Amino acid sequence: MRNAIAIAKKELNIYFATPIAYVMFTLFVVIGSYFFLRLLGAYEQASLMYMRFNQPDIMNRLNFQDAIFRNLFGNLGVILIFIIPFLTMRLIAEEKRQKTIELLYTTPVTPGEIVWGKYLACLAILVCALALTLTYPLLVQFVAKDSNGVEWRSVLLGYLGLFLMGGAFMAIGLFISSLTESQVVAALITFVVLLMTWIIGWTAQEAEGWVRDFVSYLASVSHLDSFSKGTIEPKDIVYFLSIIVLGLFATNRAVEAHRWS
Amino acid sequence: MIEVSHLEKSYRDLKAVQDVSFKVEKGEILGFLGPNGAGKTTTMRMITGVLPPSSGSAKVAGFDVFEHPMEVKRRIGYLPETPPLYTDMTVRAYLGFVAEIKGVKRKQRAGEVDRVAQQTNSDKFIQRVIGNLSKGQRQRVGLAQALLGDPEVLILDEPTVGLDPAQIIEVRELIKSLAGKHTIVLSTHILPEVVATCQRVLIISQGRVVADDTLQGLQKAHAGALTADGHPGPAPSLEEIFLKLTSA
Repeated sequence: MRNAIAIAKKELNIYFATPIAYVMFTLFVVIGSYFFLRLLGAYEQASLMYMRFNQPDIMNRLNFQDAIFRNLFGNLGVILIFIIPFLTMRLIAEEKRQKTIELLYTTPVTPGEIVWGKYLACLAILVCALALTLTYPLLVQFVAKDSNGVEWRSVLLGYLGLFLMGGAFMAIGLFISSLTESQVVAALITFVVLLMTWIIGWTAQEAEGWVRDFVSYLASVSHLDSFSKGTIEPKDIVYFLSIIVLGLFATNRAVEAHRWS
Repeated sequence: MIEVSHLEKSYRDLKAVQDVSFKVEKGEILGFLGPNGAGKTTTMRMITGVLPPSSGSAKVAGFDVFEHPMEVKRRIGYLPETPPLYTDMTVRAYLGFVAEIKGVKRKQRAGEVDRVAQQTNSDKFIQRVIGNLSKGQRQRVGLAQALLGDPEVLILDEPTVGLDPAQIIEVRELIKSLAGKHTIVLSTHILPEVVATCQRVLIISQGRVVADDTLQGLQKAHAGALTADGHPGPAPSLEEIFLKLTSA
């Protein structure tokens, strides 16, 4: 575990010594803010409209969680699909290309520690990126002091969902990075796989019966949605955790197998 | 200290290393020679545990590389052909990281980094980013990395590549000063370097050991015919022996 932390620190050192981390944070916040402002504008218009037509019932039902944050978390989840491949692509592919992996192989570090270290580093980047977007609920809370305010429980659950989904995506990205020496190939394949987990959900809408259930279970964004609705369901947690465990296990095997090739 | 027996490595139908056996005693410096593609690097990678051998075994300090890899790795400092450097890190951060994964205690880490940096004359550019260093500077950082943690065994794959003549002499002196305390396997193409630093010479060609002896022993074995008045001929240089053995 001590070695894993050493490797995680090294990865973070590189993320912050190069523009990667800063570019990722900037993109995440810029695109996130764009969606947030649009949703906020739509919320404003809706509330003005209901007030004008004097419909207090609907006004009462209008809340920040459903109108803003649930959609916002869905959008942030999709942004993760576009950003994570570029974050995970270098993790192992670059070590292989630069032959620095030989250093890790000849020091008393196990493949498991290599995988954990790298995974912890990209999780840390994910946590930082998500923490930056806490500005949005804080902003809403600040402005809407006197009304119902933000449902913090649901918002935090939404963040838990985003964290789990990001973690699952990163486990996939890490595994794909361990299969190739080319960062571009790793990024492209990761992107296609992550994109598939999103768009496969569209197919589910056309299917019927057990196929529909099965396909919609495979789609990642649908699992995120139940978190941002403010519920925890075991099937969603199982979905994300099993991807993480499988991804890390497969990476571990790939790192071990790399020596035999 | 190092015991290699019947080591073999084949990639599909290409036999890179065949039946290589040798021993290196504690404190000895072994010059490891051979033409390009002879299997030097492959052998070194098997001793350090980067590559698993196809058959045969390698032992370091009595531990089998394959069965007790961690014990072996704790005792080895390895400078591969391409120094394994993270080009985005500074020299100090890099050496600190290597010291950490080699298990150097937190309190001793900074001192250990300074020690190896001074030994390899890397202390002048220790704050710089590795990507901006010259080839010779990188080579020295790679050597510094191998020395971290004061390992008993040093495996150095062409440590003087890219250095200028003055630096080559410095590194040569450094390696000589490490003898006795450390066991060193030194691969190189620069034959005078072997003459200057190594007690024993191992020559491999096409994956096989063709010579394993002291320099004097080799010279005696390959001495020319007796001259007319019965004296032994002039002792051949290492170059001549090398060319003779590897051209076959």
